[in-house]
Amino acid sequence: MGRHPHPTRREFIKTASAAVAIPYIITSTALGQGDTPPASDRIVMGGIGLGNMGSGDQDAYLGRKDVQYVAVSDVRKGQLDAGKDKADKKYGNKDCQAYGDFRELLARDDIDAVHIATPDHWHAIMVIEACKSGKDVYCQKPETLTLREGPLMIAAARRYGRVVSGGSQRVLEDYREIVDKCWGGELGPIKSINVNVGPLSQMCNLAAEDVPAGMDWEMWLGPAAWAPYNSKRCDGNFGTNGNSWRSYLDYSGGGMTDWGAHHFGGATFAVDVRELQPHEINFHDDNGKQYVELVYPNGITLTHNKPGKENLEVEGTPGEKREAKPVPSYSGEGGIYGDFIECVKTRQKPFRDIELAVNSTAVSHLASAAYRLQRSLKWDSAKQEFPGDAEANRLLDRARREPWQL
Amino acid sequence: MLDQAFEALKTLDWGQDLAPLAPIDEAVISSHSDESARRELESRLAATLSMTDSRDAKDYVCRKLMLIGTAASVPALAALLAKPENSHVARFALERIPGKEVNEALRTALESVAGVLKVGMIASLGSRGDEDSVPQLAKLLGDSDHQVACAAAKALGAIGSGKAAHALATSSSEAVKQDATNAMLACAENLLAAGDKANALRVYKHFAGEGQPKHVRLAATRGMLACAGKASE
Repeated sequence: MGRHPHPTRREFIKTASAAVAIPYIITSTALGQGDTPPASDRIVMGGIGLGNMGSGDQDAYLGRKDVQYVAVSDVRKGQLDAGKDKADKKYGNKDCQAYGDFRELLARDDIDAVHIATPDHWHAIMVIEACKSGKDVYCQKPETLTLREGPLMIAAARRYGRVVSGGSQRVLEDYREIVDKCWGGELGPIKSINVNVGPLSQMCNLAAEDVPAGMDWEMWLGPAAWAPYNSKRCDGNFGTNGNSWRSYLDYSGGGMTDWGAHHFGGATFAVDVRELQPHEINFHDDNGKQYVELVYPNGITLTHNKPGKENLEVEGTPGEKREAKPVPSYSGEGGIYGDFIECVKTRQKPFRDIELAVNSTAVSHLASAAYRLQRSLKWDSAKQEFPGDAEANRLLDRARREPWQL
Repeated sequence: MLDQAFEALKTLDWGQDLAPLAPIDEAVISSHSDESARRELESRLAATLSMTDSRDAKDYVCRKLMLIGTAASVPALAALLAKPENSHVARFALERIPGKEVNEALRTALESVAGVLKVGMIASLGSRGDEDSVPQLAKLLGDSDHQVACAAAKALGAIGSGKAAHALATSSSEAVKQDATNAMLACAENLLAAGDKANALRVYKHFAGEGQPKHVRLAATRGMLACAGKASE
């Protein structure tokens, strides 16, 4: 991504001209006090999707003195009201605006950045629309639902010079020991790493239930195929065994993409292939125990659920050492959230830059394709297609329900 | 087993166990290297579309035809495009089936449907990169239905060709400005990648003026630098 000059913080009067209710009196909150920067120097943010992960993301950004949190959007009135109340309580006012339709939030010129934590089937559309509106974006993982979405999200980010960060904090924070060993060179040249994660998502045929008051069901479904409301279909819990949207094909890739975003992200970071995508996906059926090997162009192999292998078990080259490399890390203070905000200010790429996040979710999608088709595949990362494989290429994307499109 | 599965499929409804349909799922996979078995399976699936009133059954069939459908299934799927309950799942299958027959079916349907269904046809034509639909899409840039006009702009951007860029450039609709801008910038990226610097530069210069939002001017500036062979990284 290109680096352009630090944008001049907008004058307060510009914020005041936005089409929202603005307090007439300029308060000490607006002017800044102590180590709190004045409003004109804060990143103005809004949040879209305020359930389990979104609520935590909102807390993180609300807790930052360099952020002014001004708007929330959710299709569930309960979450929407709770998100607004949280922001209003933080600032001691009623200024946070609540929107049932995220497009109204994105239309506000005074908002610099948004965090997105909807179910996965919304991510690509929202990230692209946010970039088109000139917003920087922090998007929860897994950032994509299909392979085709990734390059379009990257293109939108690059086109407009937006800072777009993926959302897995675990990539850097959970696997530090193995990352340090790999980057420190003590394992020698790396041959392979294994990831254990699953399952794949499945079709959902749950019975119809009455849509609860305050739920905009059509908007929750959005680009996904129409289906009747069922509380398990849209529950945001972290399970992947049938009691949450994370279980179902139309909204998620299942554990393979959900926890896969963390594990594959961590594994590709550890063995330093996060800027690449595999070119071979070899499917194995070992007496009913299925696993895949994803081979990178540099020869490193990433195995998934290989029998006898631990999660993030690395195979190096015994007896050999390699020159140590400095381990990339976050910018700023405050973990992955601080990294994003710092990069919004400085126009640097964040640690989980969208391109790196897309590469690790692509691993999940490629492995899933091999399991769904029960065979090995080739992958051309430059063309983003399975070369000469018309059947597999059908899995690159899926038609979105009208009126939604990328 | 397969016969029983097809019988169960006809009355499929939400809330029912999908296990009785497993033989169909298995046949989709196992027929990968058996062309004759796959064509027979496709034929049975396509025929089911007219043998059931169940929305859930049609949804299931379209998901399978997405994987194995060919031109032979296009008429059965196209018959659903104008039906609000089935239009999307029909496109779910059609959008991923290779061949000109699909594009022709979508372009035909485009002329006969309205509102969000029309948006759906436009989106699928864009997603398929159907260059032959550019004249139809160009006309829709000025459609009185804002959603239709914006969808046409997005689809032209997805097609991304010189003709698509020209159609977008000649549109003066203020209502589709953001989508048309994004689409033109996408076209310019394609033109530049294909070596057509002159036309790419024309697009970028159009958006480099003071009247554009800051992030659009940034996109234009980066594009002009790229046209000049200067990286903006």
